[in-house]
Amino acid sequence: MSHNTPDGLTGLALTPDTFHLRCAINGESIERDVAVDRSLLSFLRDDLGLTGTKGSCLEGECGSCTVLIDGVPVNSCITLAAQVNGRQVVTIEGLSRDDKLAILQEKFLEAGAVQCGYCTPGLILAATALLQENPEITEEQLIKGVEANICRCTGYSSIVEALRNAHREMHS
Amino acid sequence: MTTAAGSNPSEDAPRAAPLAGQSCRRIDGAEKVSGRALYGADFFPREAELFAKVLRSAHAHAKVLSIDTSKARAIEGVVGVYTHKDVGGTNRHGLIRRDHPALVEDRVRYCGDAVAIVVAESERVAEFARDLVEVGYQELPVLGTIDDALAPGAPQIHPEGNVMGDKRIRKGDAEAALETSDVVVRDTFETQTTDHAFLDLEAGIARFDGEQLTIRAAGQWVHEERRLVALAVGLEPERIRIIQPCTGGAFGGREDISIQIYLAVAALHHPHQTVALRYSRAESMIARHKRHALRIHYTLGAKRDGTLTAAKVVVYSDEGAYASTGIAVMRKAASHATGPLRVPNVSVDVYGVHTNNNPTGAMRGFGASQIAIAYNGMMQRLARALNMNPLDLYMKNLIDSGDSVTTGQRISDPTIKECLQAAMDQFHSKPFPSDALPPHLRRGWGISVMCFGLGYGDGFPDCSRVRVAIDEKGVFTVYTGAVDFGQGLPNAMAQIAGTELGAKLDQVHVVAADTGRTDESGSSSATRQTYFTGNAVRMAASELREQLLDIAGVHLRVHPHEISLGPGKSTDPTGFAYETANPDNRASLADLVVEGRKRGYPLEARALFKPRTVPGQAATGPSQGVYHLPVRGPRIAGIGGRRNRRDPRRTAHRLPRRGQSHQSPIGRGADRRRGGPRHRHGFDGRGGHARRCVAEPWLHRLHRTHDHGRAADRSGYRRARRPRWAVRGPRRWRAPVDRRRTGGAVRDLRRYRGGSQQAAL
Repeated sequence: MSHNTPDGLTGLALTPDTFHLRCAINGESIERDVAVDRSLLSFLRDDLGLTGTKGSCLEGECGSCTVLIDGVPVNSCITLAAQVNGRQVVTIEGLSRDDKLAILQEKFLEAGAVQCGYCTPGLILAATALLQENPEITEEQLIKGVEANICRCTGYSSIVEALRNAHREMHS
Repeated sequence: MTTAAGSNPSEDAPRAAPLAGQSCRRIDGAEKVSGRALYGADFFPREAELFAKVLRSAHAHAKVLSIDTSKARAIEGVVGVYTHKDVGGTNRHGLIRRDHPALVEDRVRYCGDAVAIVVAESERVAEFARDLVEVGYQELPVLGTIDDALAPGAPQIHPEGNVMGDKRIRKGDAEAALETSDVVVRDTFETQTTDHAFLDLEAGIARFDGEQLTIRAAGQWVHEERRLVALAVGLEPERIRIIQPCTGGAFGGREDISIQIYLAVAALHHPHQTVALRYSRAESMIARHKRHALRIHYTLGAKRDGTLTAAKVVVYSDEGAYASTGIAVMRKAASHATGPLRVPNVSVDVYGVHTNNNPTGAMRGFGASQIAIAYNGMMQRLARALNMNPLDLYMKNLIDSGDSVTTGQRISDPTIKECLQAAMDQFHSKPFPSDALPPHLRRGWGISVMCFGLGYGDGFPDCSRVRVAIDEKGVFTVYTGAVDFGQGLPNAMAQIAGTELGAKLDQVHVVAADTGRTDESGSSSATRQTYFTGNAVRMAASELREQLLDIAGVHLRVHPHEISLGPGKSTDPTGFAYETANPDNRASLADLVVEGRKRGYPLEARALFKPRTVPGQAATGPSQGVYHLPVRGPRIAGIGGRRNRRDPRRTAHRLPRRGQSHQSPIGRGADRRRGGPRHRHGFDGRGGHARRCVAEPWLHRLHRTHDHGRAADRSGYRRARRPRWAVRGPRRWRAPVDRRRTGGAVRDLRRYRGGSQQAAL
């Protein structure tokens, strides 16, 4: 009765095959059996309880679920958990250790770049990669670098201000 | 105890600027930037024991003949499948009319209607079993448009018929005034349905301990949600506690109840187990109410010098399948039909029509924004007919102190002219960007004015209740039922309380939106919380301040008039009461609390802020005091430029004509469409879906140059060239459901018909 489900979630296997996954999450080695169709997002959130990574559009459009895989920002909702085998994953929980916030997190607070806060973890991770890679960055590149992250509260000007301030501090 | 220590509080704290008005860090900011804040779905790995999924209707309009749950129940891991027969109460909800079945009985009226709830030990099993529930339908003709629903012989969606309601306003004699006007312009505007698309999908948990049902799910008015749950499932409201988790946006989209009733039904059948439910993005789109699509027939008359004489406005509103807040939206649209313009003769008729589309309800502006498209568009058309600069025309016709708006309510001291002038000054002071754009983009500016009444208005009871208390540590706590979904309500309330109580921000805690601990403060909507709850906080805090001054008066042996409250130095854990003329004579608030307890002071204060409005007129005659503070400033926005296009308030109604690719979050949508570097779409580099967000209609015109729209008037936006790739654009706007299934819920923007302007000079 697939016509009963308008959200297209048909064809789901009740008992999927599993995959033996080895990877490092926030510097910590992890070894687990995961369903082969488990997304990295739901592995992080539902299996590991790292709920700082948010799911929203669930189809790679909004950037809320951004994590860093080997330093590269990736949408975890359309990445399979099995794909990070042997890789380093960093989530928002890995940025602030012992309650000490990272520079970007501080700047987000300072600039008032946090409203509902749902896009914030993804934005901060995307920006972390962007700012680390580029000691020199133009305003254009800065904006382009995080264009795959939607803030539905539309607080973009303060987000860009936070990025600018963080970049200044990181590379001064 | 009185302390005469070396630190002098008068040096820093008492002279510090009041907290209100300062730009403070968000109280909840650190939690949010570090990922520790818990949103609805974040309870899943922590607390969920059972998982629920909702089966939605397969048709937009059909009779339900049978529901067979046996196959679903047979799946291992399924613990229950529930239909309307398993709902203990009225099985109804609805903010104004209780017309929406929580689980459908004999009929589905739109694709989002919920048919059954499956509860299982895992989400995967629940999802799998949901697809095995067999529903027998007999399809009925789908009424996809207002015209379909009003056609003779159309099936009735509700027993009362397809016209849900109407609203009329008569001020002066519009018909007669139009007859004698020098110029009359007419046009028809159609706005589209819009989804709120907040990022934080509907998700939450519920647990019934045999006595008390606790629900953690995001809404906009927890106390009303408690009433609706109580009614639907047949439990006394006192036995239900709703707690708002951290919430990622709402924009009106959480005003209608969503998952709370489903959670309640599931939890009541499985006591002592925590049930969790979350929507996918698709389900969120399909189930939730939308912004009203309005068809507005507008006739505007003026004298030859541009003075407005009359407006005749007829509006048809697509109310969708259920009432939602539609009636209130119709009222708001009607009472804002001429916005901040001075129009002596007004006739407004609004008709709300049921269709098989999604119910339509609250979304930013609540009807006032759709109608603003029309009156601003008409001012442009009038300016063209009169060959006047639109800005001059606005300035001539914006209300002054003592003028009345649509409802006849007289406005004292509106600032809209100053506001428009300030916006224009700002605009003129900056050079128009001259950097090169890709050939398919053009840069332009638009301007519009609008007004918006605060609060529910129209005589609807509207109030906020607040409690402010101080504990043994000298820390203040504000208890309010108001919901924060990101707008910063805790900060606003803490800063208002802190201002009254002379406290620092970290000395004021805010407990918000928990029916178990807070009093009702109304909904977080209608731009009302800062005004309503803010005033209640001010009143309660001020009363608590009086108590503290009384205690300090005894303690410090001076008259309370001579005592001030101050936050102390940054190293002080608590604030102080001190003699204003002699700051060394002081006592810590913690000590005052101990003293106050001994003397029987309550050390807390409650306040109710309830300014009355009066109902709008039933048929004719002006009505005063329909809304609070109704006049707001103009908006000015660049369109087709390269930045800030994500701001829905700054997005042109007609944007799709050029920028169909609407919209990259920051930067150019078009670049994304053309397949620029997109290495971030997952590992395999795929991606590049068209954005499906829908622009909020706000501005009505594209001005291609910096000349108040004159060039645009000459060239005509309708003839503006579109790049080839944009021609097929509107298709990409549709939500991922097909038209047949939604009954045409997702509108094609090209239906806008702008052409019937008449000018009789």
